[in-house]
Amino acid sequence: MSPPLAADAGAASRLLVLDGVGKDYPKLATRGGRLRLVANLLRGRAASESFRALDDVSFAMRRGQSLAVVGENGAGKSTLLKIVAGVIRPTRGRVEVKGRVAALLELGSGFHPEYTGYANIELAAALLGLDPGEIAGRREAIVEFADIGPHIHDPIKTYSSGMVVRLGFAIATALAPDVLITDEVLAVGDESFQKKCIAWMEKYLEGGGTLLLCSHSMYHVQKLCAHALWLDHGRVRLYDEAAIVAREYLAFHEAKSTQHREFRQQVLGDYQVTSLGLTPRGGRVEVDPVQGFDVVVEIRSPDARPPVCAVGVVRADGTPIFGTTSEVDGARGVKVAADTYAFSVTFRDLPLQPGHYLLRAHAMDPEGMRLFDHHETPFVVAGTTRELGYTHLPHEWHGQRGGA
Amino acid sequence: MSQSIPDATRAIAATPQGASSRRLFALWRNFFSREVRQRYLGSVTGLAWALVHPLALLAVYHFVFTKIFRVGNFGPGSFLAFVAVALWPWLAAQEALQRGVTSLASYAGLIRKAAFPHEAIIYASVAATFALQFAGYLVVLVALAVLGEPIRLEGLLLAVPLWLVLMVAVTGLALALASLQVFVRDVEHVLMPVLMMLMYLTPILYPLTVVPRNFLPWVAANPVSWLVTRMRDALLEGRIAPQWSDAVAVAIALALFAGGLWMFRRLSPYFEDFV
Repeated sequence: MSPPLAADAGAASRLLVLDGVGKDYPKLATRGGRLRLVANLLRGRAASESFRALDDVSFAMRRGQSLAVVGENGAGKSTLLKIVAGVIRPTRGRVEVKGRVAALLELGSGFHPEYTGYANIELAAALLGLDPGEIAGRREAIVEFADIGPHIHDPIKTYSSGMVVRLGFAIATALAPDVLITDEVLAVGDESFQKKCIAWMEKYLEGGGTLLLCSHSMYHVQKLCAHALWLDHGRVRLYDEAAIVAREYLAFHEAKSTQHREFRQQVLGDYQVTSLGLTPRGGRVEVDPVQGFDVVVEIRSPDARPPVCAVGVVRADGTPIFGTTSEVDGARGVKVAADTYAFSVTFRDLPLQPGHYLLRAHAMDPEGMRLFDHHETPFVVAGTTRELGYTHLPHEWHGQRGGA
Repeated sequence: MSQSIPDATRAIAATPQGASSRRLFALWRNFFSREVRQRYLGSVTGLAWALVHPLALLAVYHFVFTKIFRVGNFGPGSFLAFVAVALWPWLAAQEALQRGVTSLASYAGLIRKAAFPHEAIIYASVAATFALQFAGYLVVLVALAVLGEPIRLEGLLLAVPLWLVLMVAVTGLALALASLQVFVRDVEHVLMPVLMMLMYLTPILYPLTVVPRNFLPWVAANPVSWLVTRMRDALLEGRIAPQWSDAVAVAIALALFAGGLWMFRRLSPYFEDFV
């Protein structure tokens, strides 16, 4: 894994560098294991049995260059953020941090539940080495931003999750961090506060702030971050532009949720798809949505009668998007051998969103009644987008055109 | 402003290195005031209860050892003064160890989510206990003096440094035991009976002179015996001239502190996963 940023970024502008970072957590099987573990740790040795939560993660972040971390639960996202935040030390590798890091790790991170909201503001300041005097000027701003009224004098443990996030976000913002780490926290809180957060975040990013975001929302990933890192079982699976990572990540999930329905019917004398070819036009590897692609399907007919061919496009998770048959369109196959017919069809101007798809072809009997064979081949629609869904519907906005 | 961190080690990442001692102090102050406040918040008697427990103990000991067992040979003052002078430092050490050992657990949320030097918790917990116990000690000494006991207040010139030496030693022990407690939960349960035995093996309720000759070297070898004897010499007899044993005591305390801190720093990177 060679991160694209490591080479070109000048050392001075690098805010954060991780080089081959790994983290092992000791595993405890027995009671005696605890004592053995302590003995090992005291002698500066590694735990005898450990779980590899993170392995060989490298990336660099420059000022103003935000990064999203995506991955399934247990992929090591939280461990990675904790390492960057300095909560835990990596077992292997090198971490370099320049500047002040503020972390919002999960709900109420860095809060003491018994402290009041006010006391937690002081605590947050102390965690950063600020004197109570230094925080005094910012305290009012924090209380105002959090907007939780008289609850600021109650212990944090009595707060609702929304209030905890409000206060956490208010504190993080007031400390003017160089890197802001957030772990899925913006999913909580009411809408008006979320708006406030997004507005603050955009201002922060415009002002050269750097965000390390952990999110399951590919929309937020693409909106807030230029680059993304996909963690899979503690390792970097992909590190690229946010749009590309988001596309691949979604495709991975769609493919994972596919039920591989093999309904190849072995009826005597069935109609078989003998070949299925998909060729992107314009000589590209990926399908350009405007150029489209050519499909050639060859079907063997057991009784030499011309069969019907069905073709369709499904999303990688099997969601049908479009399908048609030669019979519906009144097309015929070309006889290429004694019992084999070839069907050729071109798709152009695809209204498909960038992403992963499958082309399906079925052999049907000449009556177009029975479905026999089932073949599919994957393809990728090139491009990046922040639109949602599978297809692009032509649309038009009315009224005045919005500015920046 | 920048720092380069060698393989697999990392100082404080969240703030520049130069600020680390300032941060430790800011954190210590925050935790210390919380420790002190939480001990009287919610209690009706307020800080006065810090006095109630040792006074009750003192009353019980007074009754048992002067009315029932009738101990003698305890110096110029009454049994009350004899015990009080030694009891408070012992109770301070005992309470500081017990609270210190379990203190990391009450900061578990913070340890899991925030980057900070964990030793600040131990320092604050031990210091808070010592501050409150020492305040109670002063009140009791003055009260005894007012009641006519032969308390030599100039003895404080030695007693205060002795308290500090004790606090340094206890901090070292608390660092070691608290870091062990994170991994092995038995520490706090073992600690209770050990402290109780140690208390009765220390001449707090009896003078060294009544200890049978064949046990005397064992009891006298106990560093806490040295401390309470020295405390009594200072406050009841007014002997405050420095001795060579003072230097040994300081050396032992510093060694305990250094050893405890070493152990704590070795184990603290792994607290996050176990606390």
